[in-house]
Parts: sequence; structure tokens; C-alpha cells
Amino acid sequence: MDEPALIREAQHGSLEAFNSLVLAYQGNLYNTALRILGDEDLAADATQEAFISAFRALRSYRGGSFKAWLLRTVTNACYDELRRRKRRPSTPLEPEDELGEEMESPRWLQDPSASPEDQLDQAELEHAIQHCLESLPTDFKAVVVLADLQGLDYNEVAQAVHVPLGTIKSRLARARLRLRDCLKAFGELLPAAFRLERERGA
Amino acid sequence: MNRQITFRDWQNLSAHLDGQLSPSARKLLTSRLSTEPQLAEALEELSQVRALLRRTPVAPTPRNFTLAREEHRVKPPVSPLVPALSWASAVAMLLFIGTFGTNLLGKFSFGAAAPMMSAAPAEVMGGEPAAEAMMATEAPVSDATSIEVTATPEVMLMTLPEATIVAEEARNMPLPPDLKEPGRGFPPDWFNPWLAFWLGLALILIITSLLVRWLSVFFFRRRPPPQ
Repeated sequence: MDEPALIREAQHGSLEAFNSLVLAYQGNLYNTALRILGDEDLAADATQEAFISAFRALRSYRGGSFKAWLLRTVTNACYDELRRRKRRPSTPLEPEDELGEEMESPRWLQDPSASPEDQLDQAELEHAIQHCLESLPTDFKAVVVLADLQGLDYNEVAQAVHVPLGTIKSRLARARLRLRDCLKAFGELLPAAFRLERERGA
Repeated sequence: MNRQITFRDWQNLSAHLDGQLSPSARKLLTSRLSTEPQLAEALEELSQVRALLRRTPVAPTPRNFTLAREEHRVKPPVSPLVPALSWASAVAMLLFIGTFGTNLLGKFSFGAAAPMMSAAPAEVMGGEPAAEAMMATEAPVSDATSIEVTATPEVMLMTLPEATIVAEEARNMPLPPDLKEPGRGFPPDWFNPWLAFWLGLALILIITSLLVRWLSVFFFRRRPPPQ
């Protein structure tokens, strides 16, 4: 069944239709929350909250990109979580392996089909990107995650974070500049395939 | 030509990467890129950052986030009838309160006029004005004091002036309904048929709204699970 029909059915109270949409978009929402919050448990909670809010508020959806509308709910859920975290600061727990040692890269990121070298490269890259994303202000982080990781266009990002198009352009440029500086600082730590051209040439 | 790269340049380069520049701005930037190697290098760096971000591994979801019907927090989408009914009941309740308040104010103004009403009947019933009546009663009394008479009831009645008798009779007669003493009898003076109407309407709307909400939850929960 096509997406508009599923949305219409869900708007009339069909939970089955809504769950089909959940299955289609849960990856996008979860990954967005994970990049903004940097914690898989909090990201899972924010994703669940976002889908519940989306179902309740489904009648307010008036067309446009449904993906952007859903990503807006998860971004709001992440902002709520970050506000909560600010009120009650806590030390985030790194994932641990069977021996209780902290893992640099969570197991779920490992692609079993990739070679060990590729897996390591991916893990290093993920670590570097997550570290650099963490250093960004929340507003910049949300914009860069939606535009560069989720592939939304500027209008969709503006719809998702509810700010004017000009602000999106400005925030995205600032976020990319900061990420460039941060990733440069990683330098040799990044796998050769992912080093910035200038670093490789230097 | 080497020029300092401003933030506006970075912003244009970033928008250029995403194809978000206007045709005129794109043309201008393209011409600058061909003459300013520093700007071209900046564009290349931004492009690499963007490419790197797009290669970020996608994390598989730890579980499915589908919603269960039994989940307490999952409520069905509210029928548009419910907010409409709620607003209508709120308006009806406000009208009820307004009517009640107006009637209550009316009651208090009647209450303030009550002492004067006791003097009014003589005039209302067609007798002489009060001042004349007073004069009429006072003058013969002063005459009467000079004559010594045994004060039997019959004699007293005979000696009373006509205006006093009329006033006495008027006091004993029932008042017309619109001059009844406030707060007595049923329905009370402050009662108004509109009061009953607005209160009844508000209650009906509230009950209907609750019923519609309950029915939508009921049918939502009873819907069979997907095959």
C-alpha cells in the first residue's frame, strides 16, 4: 500500500497502518536520535516517545514530507531528553563487553559481512564522527544530522526543526566548518581512506 | 588572486554543495572558484566533510518500535467532534454563569428597593400621595386630643381619617406578582428559564463529548489485530 493511503488510514485510527509506517521509518528516527543523543538506550526511548507522539498528533499532519514530519517529532523528543539531562546531569555509560571492559565501538555497529579491517575502519570513523558531533551545539547537531546523515533537503530540514531556510543554511555551514576542524584534529587517527585530502597530502 | 574567505563565502560554498544557491549566486561563485584556488580548496574540504558524514555507518535498530494496542499510552486519534463539543459546552456554561450573575445582580437591586416598597402601596392602590396622607392623619389627631372620648375600638375606628383606613386596607391586600418580596416563593426571583436552558445544554454537550471519546477508545481497543 502506498504511503499517503497508509497515512490516511492511520489518521482515521488504524494502528496497523501506522505500524507499517513505523517499520518503514524506525531506522531513520533511531539513527537521528542516536547521533543527537549519543546513547543507544536514550535513543531507543526517544524513538519510542516520538512514535507515540506522532500517532497522537497524526491529525495535525497536513501533507508535505512525512519523513520530515516524523523526524521533527524525534528531534523534539531528543531536545526534551537533553533538557532532562541538563537538569539531572549523569555520566553516560559506555557499552561494555562480556568482561566488563568499555567498548570503543558498540557491537551493533559491526557489519558481520565486512572484513575485520573494514570493521575497524568503520568503527574508527564512527567514533571520530560521534565525538565531533558531540562537540557541536544541539541546534547545529540536529541540522547537520538531518541534512548530511539523513539526506533531507533544506526545506525538509526547515520543516523538521521549525526554523527559517536562511537559518538552516547558516547553521549547516557553521556545523560543517566545526566538523572539518574537529575531524582534522583526528588526523592520523582516522583510517587512511577517510582522512581529509589535505591531511593525506601533508 | 587570494582573498580572505569570509563566513558568507563558507555559507555559499556549503549551499553550493547542496545545490541550494540561486542561479545568479552560483554563476558568481563558479567564476570565483576558477580564479581563487583558496576558495576552491575550501570547497573541496567541505565536500570531503560532507562525504565523510554521509558514510557514517547506519546503526541497526535494537528492536521494533511498533505500537501495541494494549499500551496505555497509545490513545486513538481524537475525533474532531470531541473538541467541538467541548468548546460548545464551555460556551454554554459561560452563558449560564453570565445569566446567573445578571439575575443575581437584579435580585440585589430589588433588595435595595424593598424598604421603599412598603410606603408605595397607598399610591399604587389609588390613594392620596403619602405626604398628604400623613398630613391628613396628623391634623385630626391634634383635634382629637382636645376632646375627651373613651377609647373603644369602634370609637377609634370612627376617629381615624379616611386616608389612614385606606392605607391600612392597602397594607393587608396581596401585592401584584411583579412587586412580590424578593427571595420568597417558588420559583425564586433570580430564576430565569434561560438559566435552565444554558445549564441543560452545557450538561448535554459535556456528556455527549465524554460519550464520543469513550466510544472512540472502545472501538479502537476492540478492533481486531492485523492478520
